[in-house]
Amino acid sequence: MEMNARQHKFGMVIDLDKCTGCGACMVACMAENNVPFKVDETNKRDSITWMRVYKLTNGKPYPEADACFLPRPCMHCEGHAGHSPCVSVCPATATDYSSETGVVSQIYTRCFGCRYCMAACPYHARYFNWWDPVWPDGMEKYLSPNVSPRMRGVVEKCSFCYHRYQLAREKAIYEERDEVAEEEYQTACTQACPAGAIVFGDLNNPDHQVARIVQPDAHHHFTGHSKIAFRLLEQLGTNPKVYYLTEREWVRKMCDQYNFGPQAAGH
Amino acid sequence: MDSALFPKGVKRCPTWQFALWIGAVGIVLLWGVYAMLLCWLKGLNQTNMNDYYGFALWIWADLAVIALGGGAFFTGFLRYIVGKDELKNIINFAVLIGFICYSSALLILAIDIGQPLRGWFIFWHANVHSMLTEVAFCLSCYFGVLTIEYIPLILENRQIDRVPFFHNLAHNMHEVMAVFAATGAFLSFFHQGSLGGVAGVLFGRPFAFREGIFIWPWTFFLFTWSAAAFGPCFTIFLLKITEKITAKKLVKDSTVWLLAKISGWMMLTYIIAKTIDTLYWLTVTAPAAGYGAGFFYDNWFYNFGWLFVEIVVGGFIPALILVSEKGRRSPGLLFLAVLLGVIGVSVNRWVMVLQVMAVPVMPFDTWALYYPSWQEVATTILPVAYGVILVSLSYRYLPVFPNEMELNAAPAQAEAVVDEELPVQAAVARA
Amino acid sequence: MKLDRRSFLSFVIGGAAGTALTPLPWKLTDDLSIWTQMWPWTPVPPDGAYSYVSTTCTLCPGGCGIQVRLVDKRAVKIEGTPGHPVNDGGICPLGLSGLQLLYGPSRVDGPLKRTAGRGAGRWTPISWDDAIGEVAQKLAALRGDGRPQAVAAISGSGRGTFSALVERFMTVYGSPNLMRPASAADACEMALYRMHGQQAMAGYDLENADFVLSFGSGIIDGWGSPVRMIRARSLWKERKVPLVQVEPCLSNTAAAADRWLAVAPGTEAALALGLAHVILSEGLYDYNFTAFYSAGFEPWRQMVLDGFAPDQVAQITGIQKDVIVDLARQFAKARAGVALWGRGRGTTPGSIDEAMAVHSLNALVGAVNRQGGVWALPEIDYIQWPEAEMDATAANGLQTARLDGAGLEPHADARSLAHRFFTAVAEGKTDPVEALLVFEANPLYTQPDTATVKKALDKIPFIVSFSSLQDETSAYADLILPNHLYLERFEDVAGPAGLNQALIGLTQPVVAPQRRTRHAGDVILALSQGLGTPVADAFPWESFEACLEETLGDDWDALVANGYVARPVSLPHWSSAFGTASGKFEFAGTYRPAPLEGDKGAFPLVLVPYDSMRIAGGTAANTPFMTKTVGDEILKGNDMFVQVNPQTADSLGLREGLYAELSTPRGKARVRIHLTQEVRPGLVAMPRGLGHTAFDPYLAHKGVNVNALLGPVDDPASGLDAAWGIQAKLAKA
Ligand SMILES: Nc1nc2c(c(=O)[nH]1)N[C@H]1C(S)=C(S)[C@@H](COP(=O)(O)OP(=O)(O)OC[C@H]3O[C@@H](n4cnc5c(=O)[nH]c(N)nc54)[C@H](O)[C@@H]3O)O[C@H]1N2
Ligand SMILES: Nc1nc2c(c(=O)[nH]1)N[C@H]1C(S)=C(S)[C@@H](COP(=O)(O)OP(=O)(O)OC[C@H]3O[C@@H](n4cnc5c(=O)[nH]c(N)nc54)[C@H](O)[C@@H]3O)O[C@H]1N2
Ligand code: SF4
Ligand code: SF4
Ligand code: SF4
Ligand code: SF4
Ligand code: SF4
Ligand SMILES: [Mo]
Repeated sequence: MEMNARQHKFGMVIDLDKCTGCGACMVACMAENNVPFKVDETNKRDSITWMRVYKLTNGKPYPEADACFLPRPCMHCEGHAGHSPCVSVCPATATDYSSETGVVSQIYTRCFGCRYCMAACPYHARYFNWWDPVWPDGMEKYLSPNVSPRMRGVVEKCSFCYHRYQLAREKAIYEERDEVAEEEYQTACTQACPAGAIVFGDLNNPDHQVARIVQPDAHHHFTGHSKIAFRLLEQLGTNPKVYYLTEREWVRKMCDQYNFGPQAAGH
Repeated sequence: MDSALFPKGVKRCPTWQFALWIGAVGIVLLWGVYAMLLCWLKGLNQTNMNDYYGFALWIWADLAVIALGGGAFFTGFLRYIVGKDELKNIINFAVLIGFICYSSALLILAIDIGQPLRGWFIFWHANVHSMLTEVAFCLSCYFGVLTIEYIPLILENRQIDRVPFFHNLAHNMHEVMAVFAATGAFLSFFHQGSLGGVAGVLFGRPFAFREGIFIWPWTFFLFTWSAAAFGPCFTIFLLKITEKITAKKLVKDSTVWLLAKISGWMMLTYIIAKTIDTLYWLTVTAPAAGYGAGFFYDNWFYNFGWLFVEIVVGGFIPALILVSEKGRRSPGLLFLAVLLGVIGVSVNRWVMVLQVMAVPVMPFDTWALYYPSWQEVATTILPVAYGVILVSLSYRYLPVFPNEMELNAAPAQAEAVVDEELPVQAAVARA
Repeated sequence: MKLDRRSFLSFVIGGAAGTALTPLPWKLTDDLSIWTQMWPWTPVPPDGAYSYVSTTCTLCPGGCGIQVRLVDKRAVKIEGTPGHPVNDGGICPLGLSGLQLLYGPSRVDGPLKRTAGRGAGRWTPISWDDAIGEVAQKLAALRGDGRPQAVAAISGSGRGTFSALVERFMTVYGSPNLMRPASAADACEMALYRMHGQQAMAGYDLENADFVLSFGSGIIDGWGSPVRMIRARSLWKERKVPLVQVEPCLSNTAAAADRWLAVAPGTEAALALGLAHVILSEGLYDYNFTAFYSAGFEPWRQMVLDGFAPDQVAQITGIQKDVIVDLARQFAKARAGVALWGRGRGTTPGSIDEAMAVHSLNALVGAVNRQGGVWALPEIDYIQWPEAEMDATAANGLQTARLDGAGLEPHADARSLAHRFFTAVAEGKTDPVEALLVFEANPLYTQPDTATVKKALDKIPFIVSFSSLQDETSAYADLILPNHLYLERFEDVAGPAGLNQALIGLTQPVVAPQRRTRHAGDVILALSQGLGTPVADAFPWESFEACLEETLGDDWDALVANGYVARPVSLPHWSSAFGTASGKFEFAGTYRPAPLEGDKGAFPLVLVPYDSMRIAGGTAANTPFMTKTVGDEILKGNDMFVQVNPQTADSLGLREGLYAELSTPRGKARVRIHLTQEVRPGLVAMPRGLGHTAFDPYLAHKGVNVNALLGPVDDPASGLDAAWGIQAKLAKA
């Protein structure tokens, strides 16, 4: 049981009806995690954004058109028993699933840049450093010592701001506490979101807001209990730890390849 | 000038012609090397790959050459394990082609990872769950085996063979070759399969994902099978081209027919399995993940035509030609069949690498099309140039074809004509 | 030498195994691999002591509280201040990326003097003493000439102590020509002045509203105080408070609204009056308010009943009659319904009739001075300085007519009309302007009709910019006297936009100045010293910081500690709520849409700018991080896309991605086409905030500045710039 108490499963719920598409989460993440930038970032297929906010449209003609924004961090997929799509393929164990936190880690210095994990990730959450990161003269002053800047040739992705967990845990240990409190470990994007659209916490801890909102069903591949909760591409079996909420049915349907429904999702 | 190095009793073109030929191909090679150095020194931004296209042109080339190089392990398997002795007439050539293909594959991988020195971490921090780990280990080992299989051929060069140590070494290596051939075949079955597994295990990529047994998706078996089927095709294909260029008969028809027949039957069984796999995937596996068949082919470039070319044009047609005795004995049809086979397996590897990357997965994603940069094209052509050079050198100086002398006893009169029309080809031909 | 099979095998295998067993090859390979992880050109950020400083963001009028994380003396991250009344921990993309401005390549490093033609980008660094001396000398000469009014100033910051200092300086110096860049705030101020009789801004009690009807306000696109608005809208979601968005195109706000009414552009005021018609004719209005606290109700009522019946309004607006009737009923029956006005982010003033029509709607349902409604918030009057002594030169100068015509008939209640200033100067219709001082403003980029602004600047022989960043206007100035950036200086931020609280935020230095900059407040103090009595006497402070501390008085300590002080505000008492002649709320306004500029025949389409939280519209330009978040349907390479409906594109033979020439009566631009069903047929939508020519390579030359294509149009009701678009033409390029 004591072991169980330590088995965290950090996850997120993002309320798409609250999300405004403002992009603060993207920028918060870049600022927190020393994400580099280039002069031209308009090729979105080589632009590193650990958090990316996609715009979804319902495809109907004016004025029936509707749009929805979908923030996409790394889903920290659990797959079956920790076999995340990306983790199981990495030949060098440069990315790993932590059964203690549920966080899919990325060891930049071990990654040798084969990009197999990128091919494996259906969410395009992984980014390759095609270029040397270069900060204009003087701008490297704002770089945070908590997250090492990555070098050319390695893959990077959202870490659920793991360094924040480390700092919070160190503090807890120093203060002789067993646990990190819910508010002590919050990701940078959650903290910044002006809409309060992102909720972060331990899905294993029934007191945490995420767990209360989602109530993951352990018998049905951790699908959410709520009718308006869904996961992106549920049917692929990636078992993500990022859940979404929306009242808009077209969004829910689209996000599960137009097959959304408890029946379909629960098998 | 270098005639002392030629195998005993054969004719080769004059040195200057050979040098001209090597020089011409060498320029292409240098172009590739330059591109390769750019990729290493400046990074993979020299390519047009991106985060959607993490695997691109040269990875396709990599998979394709490994499949095509499959002639080496499968011919070796047939000759040494199954005991088809007849194949000894073509085994050297098959090994040579295999060696070229695998060394090229390793070179491509070293360029592809951009950080070749760190490739070490695959071995040092190996993840046993990864198909790529399996590929890396088996590929490196099998390359070692191919090297061991190729070395005796080098040692049989007329001058080297004179040194007693090398003579004995070659002799001893021949003696134990069955052991290596068996090891090679075993490793090959695995890494060919692992390469198929690379795509097949991607359960996040419904275009690639296949069910299977235990840890192996069906693509694992299909890749091994197709390499065994199409590898010999490629060996025959290159043999025919070499014969055309040298204007010599280099391997007995009976040997070629035997290999073609076996290849044909492998192809036929493979393509039936592939068809079943495709149907199952399109009707069961993909729909379970939420994807209808139309989804994968709903693009101006990637349409059902690819499936048709892969399975019918590059699969059933060559298979049927080769299994029919008439078909494989007709030089024209034989060449057509091996050509189509080469295309078929290349298309298979293409879709399993490039189409996988292009198909959108998230419903709000769009098709990702990609065209390679010149650096990618150059580095992809680099192995071809390197292969041509290695075949030329081996053909000129090593006894690759044991029957060459006997098959070309009467000198051909037509050569002079060819000489005027195609100086370079003829130069090689006259060699 | 005879090598048998056995010895051969042992030789090979033994040799291989022997080498492999020594650690040497493995160690060397591993070292080699590890060496590749440590390329010296990848920076390693030094660690140090961690601390936080609370301050206030001034990158827009939002007034968010921010906390800056420091590692030793380096600022490494900006976060929102939890518990802050405006943003409670939330923060926008611009606020988050402020450190890229602070440490970025666009900073001006010390005073610069132009050495070649304007805009050529050639400068020579000069000392602060020389720079201040040069400006003082110029100003002293003009004053000596008895022409202080020939000095004009633009001060972006309309409120706060620094603004007051600039205003005081201009006053004692003797020039009436102080302008602020126009925005919805001007129209709002004017509307409130006419209806409430007060110099005030509108404060909306949005957190307590239970029905929100927005006439195109970019509630989640930067309107008002952006973070506060986004938070309010999340609150509505939680409480199921309906949000109805009236807007021609599907903005993010429209998409987020519970209901989107795709109104014909420019007819919003008619719709408001149509709703009023239903409310009036069905007797759904607040009798108490209209009877006891309002004046002018009857004539206004008659005007509405006569001209704005739902079927007439349906004709004008394109919104169906039953929709109008239905919406009017819902709005009137809501317990705390409130209507908002001000297009997009409120970057341009807009039609004051529209403001008044919408505000009348609020009055009609009793939302004025009500919980969950709207009330007038006069400026917080903490700036209490003794009256300055003025000499005859100043008095005479101040007597001269303002060059922008504000405060004069026919625009007697306008306080500043920046667009008219530039037009008048460009056209040479004014007395010559000999010097222009630019504080915290970038008119050469933000003013509509860039070409005219440039022409006006060309006529001004001496332009001084106080910008800390190399923006377009400073690139065109003669002297740059760079201010500290907000993270390096003291400043007060009074009453963030649209907030219904009296709040003062303090901006304080988080890091030491990164460049050789000087606080513009200190520079003004130094200039006044240079001008001598009586100007110098009006500025007894030794530094801007001292001035600020004295001005803020008892609040200073709390401000330094928390970054803000909030004063409780209660609903105004009815007896003192209105400063109008009647002492009551005045119903006013009708429907007089300002014409769109341009000939419909030659320019059959209409160009409309739109706002996005990912693109900074003015105050600060985009940071590299922000530009990174801009979608590739907006910007690709340096090409900008305009958004058009496929129906519009079809009729012009334009397809997705094609290049086109977009022209308006004011300018031309090469753009690319993006097809979207979110834009009304006939409109061409273009983002505001791109197409900078100054700043750094991460921003410059990306896209087109929409202001180069727009032009101001005088509002017939106010003289403010009421343009919300311009006739335009798209043709294949
Ligand atoms: N520190 C700092 N301070 C600044 C600036 C800065 O850059 N930094 N910028 C300055 C500038 S340029 C300006 S213009 C001011 C902006 O001044 P603010 O007034 O602070 O900001 P705005 O967002 O322009 O405010 C628009 C006003 O109109 C009201 N409003 C909006 N829509 C409607 C409507 O439909 N009806 C009515 N009746 N009212 C409506 C809003 O509630 C708000 O009060 O701030 C100035 N202050
Ligand atoms: N989200 C949101 N965005 C808004 C608004 C809003 O309410 N919400 N308001 C809009 C309004 S009303 C307006 S008028 C525009 C303002 O738009 P502008 O008129 O362009 O902005 P200004 O505030 O006048 O100042 C802009 C210039 O001031 C300089 N500047 C900014 N910060 C500093 C600083 O700290 N130090 C120095 N020395 N210079 C600085 C920069 O060089 C910049 O180019 O913004 C608009 N942007
Ligand atoms: S910060 Fe919040 S509201 Fe803005 S895009 Fe991200 S999730 Fe959406
Ligand atoms: S989202 Fe992608 S990168 Fe993240 S855990 Fe899942 S598969 Fe891996
Ligand atoms: S790119 Fe790096 S993390 Fe990804 S699979 Fe390869 S080695 Fe592993
Ligand atoms: S959790 Fe942290 S790392 Fe992940 S997207 Fe949010 S800010 Fe970025
Ligand atoms: S909304 Fe305005 S004040 Fe608030 S953080 Fe953003 S830029 Fe700063
Ligand atoms: Mo403004």
